Amino acid sequence: MRVVDVTQSSGGRASNNESLPLVSLQNVDLGYDSTAVVQGVNLTIYSGSLIGLAGPNGSGKTTLFRAILGLLPILGGSLSRNCPLSNFGYVPQSASLDPQFPLSVAEIVEMGAYGRVQPYQPLPAEEKERIKEVLDQVGMQQLAAKSFFACSGGQKQRILIARALMVKPKIMILDEPLSGVDEESRRSITDLLIKLAREKNIAVFFSSHDLEMVQRVADKIVRVDKGNVWLEERKTGLAP
Amino acid sequence: MGLVCPLIGSYLVLRRTVFLGLTLPEVAAAGVAFTFWMQQTGILPQLGQSERGIAMIGSLVFTFLGMGLLGYLEQRGKGLAEGRLAAAYALAGGLTILFMVFNPVGQIEVLNLLKGEVIALSRGELKLILGVFGLVFVAMVMFRREFLLTSFDRDLAFLLKGRQVIWDVLLYLLAGLIIAFGVIMAGPLLIFGFLVLPALAARPLVNRMTSFLALSAVLGLVMAFWGFYSSVRLDLPLGPTDVTLGCCLIFLAYGLRRVSAKSIGAVVILVFATASITGCSATTAVTPVPEAKAVRSDRIWLAKIKNSTGLPLLLPSTNPLRSAGEMIGKVSSDYRQNVMDLLRDGLRQELQQNGYRVTFPEETDARFPPFSSDTNAAVQLGRDGKLSGLVFVSEIWRWEGYPQQFVRVFVDFKLVRLEDGAVLWDRRVQRAVPTPSSTHLGQAYTDAINAVVHEIFG
Repeated sequence: MRVVDVTQSSGGRASNNESLPLVSLQNVDLGYDSTAVVQGVNLTIYSGSLIGLAGPNGSGKTTLFRAILGLLPILGGSLSRNCPLSNFGYVPQSASLDPQFPLSVAEIVEMGAYGRVQPYQPLPAEEKERIKEVLDQVGMQQLAAKSFFACSGGQKQRILIARALMVKPKIMILDEPLSGVDEESRRSITDLLIKLAREKNIAVFFSSHDLEMVQRVADKIVRVDKGNVWLEERKTGLAP
Repeated sequence: MGLVCPLIGSYLVLRRTVFLGLTLPEVAAAGVAFTFWMQQTGILPQLGQSERGIAMIGSLVFTFLGMGLLGYLEQRGKGLAEGRLAAAYALAGGLTILFMVFNPVGQIEVLNLLKGEVIALSRGELKLILGVFGLVFVAMVMFRREFLLTSFDRDLAFLLKGRQVIWDVLLYLLAGLIIAFGVIMAGPLLIFGFLVLPALAARPLVNRMTSFLALSAVLGLVMAFWGFYSSVRLDLPLGPTDVTLGCCLIFLAYGLRRVSAKSIGAVVILVFATASITGCSATTAVTPVPEAKAVRSDRIWLAKIKNSTGLPLLLPSTNPLRSAGEMIGKVSSDYRQNVMDLLRDGLRQELQQNGYRVTFPEETDARFPPFSSDTNAAVQLGRDGKLSGLVFVSEIWRWEGYPQQFVRVFVDFKLVRLEDGAVLWDRRVQRAVPTPSSTHLGQAYTDAINAVVHEIFG
């Protein structure tokens, strides 16, 4: 088992070498309490790539994401990251967030800036400006003052994407961004993901149990099922 | 306390760990009882500390031990979290009572401490409490973003801030400090109330975290001020009064949520206006006992003072031999002065100063009992005893002393004309009389009597 954080070994600075993958997994085994759920994962993620992770519920998609984010130790193989964890924009499933918290849309997005703000420091003006920018980017600026948990499923997903963008990410990991979302919102979210990858050169890695949709959108498809993982290249798609 | 506790409590409510706010104060209370018992048995040395100082040590040690144990069990992940907290609560409650039973000598002191007599704090203790609560307040404001992120989205907190356990530990450390000191100051019931109730009341009214924290703190302050005011005005115990008020705030908040913002504004204005009017009416000038000339009668019957406290209200003996004799049952306690006699003596002197010729009813008939402050009963008793003219009656409802601190008094006084039953003057003294210079209970009682007499005669 080996985890390499390239930024740690290079003094905390991300490498500028664009040819290096942002994340690389070689023969990685993943699981809980020494029991492997997914075995032999081989994957490299480069800037600007749009990768879909498809598989049925409970197949280990979230487990793979958590391992890449350093939230779960790997059981075997080697995992290396070429950018610090604070450059990972993570979009969890909105249902996993506790609606007990009284949070406005702007407060949710503001959380993405917390890594750059010292405890005693008030939120700088440029961060406040950036909140408006990222909300505008996902088309949610008019909802800034609204309660986050009063928003629809599609709105919540876009707001969480805005929060991930607030981090200034090199890579975005989205856990089931289209689940519980209506058709129109699905389309706008997939368009947004494609735009982020193509125009902002952000690596986008998202999961879905809807294989057809993943095949339509992603450049590369990682299939996971019954503990096995394999890679498929996109044959046809809508991506520009 | 009203300002700082709700800030911590807000996170307990949002993290759904409210039961921790109930359990830890009970654990702290067990620590207080345990420390007193240990000192009573001689296992712990006398440190030359005040009672409250000793209690603070016990409270702090038990709170942090309890938190450590609960944290360890949480890490091991055995059983339900609620189950662990419920068991810890029951155990702490049981141990508190057992430690008090083991230590009958210190029972009263422990009970007084756990009841939480805020006004009994010395200046040094107040400074310490202000320091601790001020520190916690600053930390809560300074690290609000970290606490929010760790509580709301642990994964994002890990990505942006690294190991979130540091923030968890800091939050619970601050909660432990507040609880350990708060229990000594206000008792476990009130500290739990301040932690949780303002946050529960604020939650339905706001949709922003900053507003939630601010409103929780404001409601905590409202609860503290109104609870304290009601407690003093109505002579109710502080803890239950505050907690009841806090629960009313929750019902009010859920009621307000159903109405528009304009209506809420109108209600708030109405409440403050009512409060102001009530506050003003409370400051109405009180009149002293009228002089003999004013009532056109110089003869007055000064009745025996009725003791309705259920306590003997005897002053401690200053003679050690007599005390020893009393303890072994060889000497009656009748030789000791009581509050009623001393108060009556003070009243007699002041009435004479006001131009009255004072006579005791028992001088005409030794069978005269103390007069009740109930006008009809007093008039009836006077007439039955063939008295006429004016009678001065007094009834003590409450008289509790804390040497070097205060005596809580509740006494009714009336000047009644026996012929027609008219009440020419009446006065209720219901407050805590500070007695900071008293070194023992007898002196505290005497100081309080002098203060009360001085108060009613102006």
